[in-house]
Amino acid sequence: MRVGIPHMGNLYIPLKALFDRLNVDCVIPPVNNQRTLSLGIKHSPEGLCIPFKLTLGNMIEAVELGADTLIMAGGTGICRLGYYAEIQEQILHDLGYNCEMVQLGVSEQKLFGLLKIIKRLSNYASWFKIISAFRFGLAKLSALDRIERVVQKVRPVERITGAANRLFTKAIKAIDKADDYATLKKVQIDYIDQLNQIDKDTQYKPLIVGITGEFYVLLEPFSNLDVESELGKLGVEVRRTTFISEWTKFSLFLNPLGVNEKARIHKAALPYLKRDIGGDGWESVGEKVLHAKEYDGLIHLAPFTCMPEIIAQNIMPSTKENIPVLTILCDEQVAKAGMLTRLEAFVDLLERKRRKGNNR
Amino acid sequence: MIRIGIPRALLYYEYYPVWKRFFEELGAEVVVSPPTTQDMMVSGSSRVVADTCLPVKVFLGHVLYLVGKCDYIFIPAIRSVKSKVYNCSKFLGLPDMTNAVIPESPPILDMDVDVNKGKRKLYQAIYQLGRHFTWNPFKVRQASLAAWQAHLNYHELMSSHNLTPPQAIEIISGIPEAEANSSYLSSTRATIAIIGHPYLLYDEHINHRFISRLEQAHNRVLTPEMLSAEELQLATARLVGRAYWTYEEEVVGAGGHYLQNGVDGIIGIMAFGCGPDSLMMDMVRRQASRLKTTPFMSLTLEEHTAEAGIVTRLEAFLDMIYRKRRIQAESCR
Repeated sequence: MRVGIPHMGNLYIPLKALFDRLNVDCVIPPVNNQRTLSLGIKHSPEGLCIPFKLTLGNMIEAVELGADTLIMAGGTGICRLGYYAEIQEQILHDLGYNCEMVQLGVSEQKLFGLLKIIKRLSNYASWFKIISAFRFGLAKLSALDRIERVVQKVRPVERITGAANRLFTKAIKAIDKADDYATLKKVQIDYIDQLNQIDKDTQYKPLIVGITGEFYVLLEPFSNLDVESELGKLGVEVRRTTFISEWTKFSLFLNPLGVNEKARIHKAALPYLKRDIGGDGWESVGEKVLHAKEYDGLIHLAPFTCMPEIIAQNIMPSTKENIPVLTILCDEQVAKAGMLTRLEAFVDLLERKRRKGNNR
Repeated sequence: MIRIGIPRALLYYEYYPVWKRFFEELGAEVVVSPPTTQDMMVSGSSRVVADTCLPVKVFLGHVLYLVGKCDYIFIPAIRSVKSKVYNCSKFLGLPDMTNAVIPESPPILDMDVDVNKGKRKLYQAIYQLGRHFTWNPFKVRQASLAAWQAHLNYHELMSSHNLTPPQAIEIISGIPEAEANSSYLSSTRATIAIIGHPYLLYDEHINHRFISRLEQAHNRVLTPEMLSAEELQLATARLVGRAYWTYEEEVVGAGGHYLQNGVDGIIGIMAFGCGPDSLMMDMVRRQASRLKTTPFMSLTLEEHTAEAGIVTRLEAFLDMIYRKRRIQAESCR
């Protein structure tokens, strides 16, 4: 059995570590590129969102590299994403690829369900082995996210543009290579150190822009045209509450125990949106309300035709807590130049607002 | 007397008799907006972001029409009416979204319908809705039982007499039935099934009188409402396994059923940007291309859809079907 893993940000690194430790042969398709997108678009129904198209592209590329089992998020819910695995399986079968789709319904099956799926994929390895491999995967995930948080802070103030990003790329590779806890720890400390030593402009106070929206486009730089780095280049510090490590921590371990990290965000959204509308729509509205005081502006990312985010986008302007919001719809038609122009204009607006505020 | 406004859009076609009965039993007057007009569509579209789907824009247009003509507007948030099958986000966000984009609207009566949370919650939600009219829980109970009976009668009427929702609503409201359309059944040229949501199929403004165009060309028209719940479920299970959204049986179930039941052609009608339909219509299309027996065409509607475009495509589709029938008839001879 060869397991193919579609991409979402750097999620492939912990998954690869997990499967490697269990001696499962796994195939990582090339990172998202133009070919992935073209393949995805060619075989998808046109009205679907970019996460569907990109993951389908990944799957086709993984199958071409010899994968016969594919893993994909799934489950019941309101957002279409829960249904994608089934449709993608049908599409792949219609294309003549013979492969099995394994759905990971994290929010339904909880931790145990997930471990059971891993047990099946690993050809019934011992529970001890599975849990230790799973722990190691989680360790890699949290190392990645810790470094990314530092990178987000460094990007706007670095004197040499792109220095933080270059280190981040190296760090990702090093984390991917690390194969025990000691090396992983060393890599993490080492790179955070190096990032802190980057030559910085200490006088400059960067604008703070929150970034919220749909899970996949937030975490997959290819789909949002790397909006975080671009904002960094414009001297803006990006704050994001969605991190995969946080998300897995809560949805696997803490939510079943009744701890809900999103309760605060939901409560903030309550006066404007009373109920969960699927996907991340509720959270998008909540984040605007909650962080209106701390942030200078908010960037709202959504895939084109995303149902929950359209509702959120319609509700956002009517909130009392007022900060500038720029909604960027991500799809295969988005071009870098168009997005950059909009980002520059948005940042100019925020800067002017800050200057005016200081003069008063 | 309290006047309750009900927009003639979205779930109106599914539940109007229930709502009307419920509110009337509780002593309220029900005000329904008239059929969609161009003005409604334009005013509704102007309030929301461009990506919002056409039916929602039309819905908001109806709400805007009702502003000042009623004391409350009833917009339920229907989350699920079957276990483990949920509804599209747009229906869930509808009350809050209307509130956000139409601040001048009369107070919105909303209620959560979610059968997955258990009967108790559902009854509580119904009582809370009834609280606006009476404190007496027995009266609310009586009204909701009467309303449920009205719902059953409505669906019975549609499937037993092969009626469309607007026709059935007319009969229920006591308006004498218009000219029976059985007159041209004798000289039918083809039987065409159309699949899609009732708010698209029966809103003559947004689909440019699609059904009457088909009927005027002497075709027999079949719609999803003419199938029984079992037939829809069976066909849905055949095509996609389990249903994922509440109102998708109208598309995928009806499509699957008609594909294998000897109609001459199937036309799917969907709105641009509709999340559930974009998947489900594609499933029907895939099945049609696998079977290769029944021609299938899907039409996507939005506010820029032009009448001429629809007519041209419809004519081409019908010509193809007539030609197919003629060739078949000749080869049989």
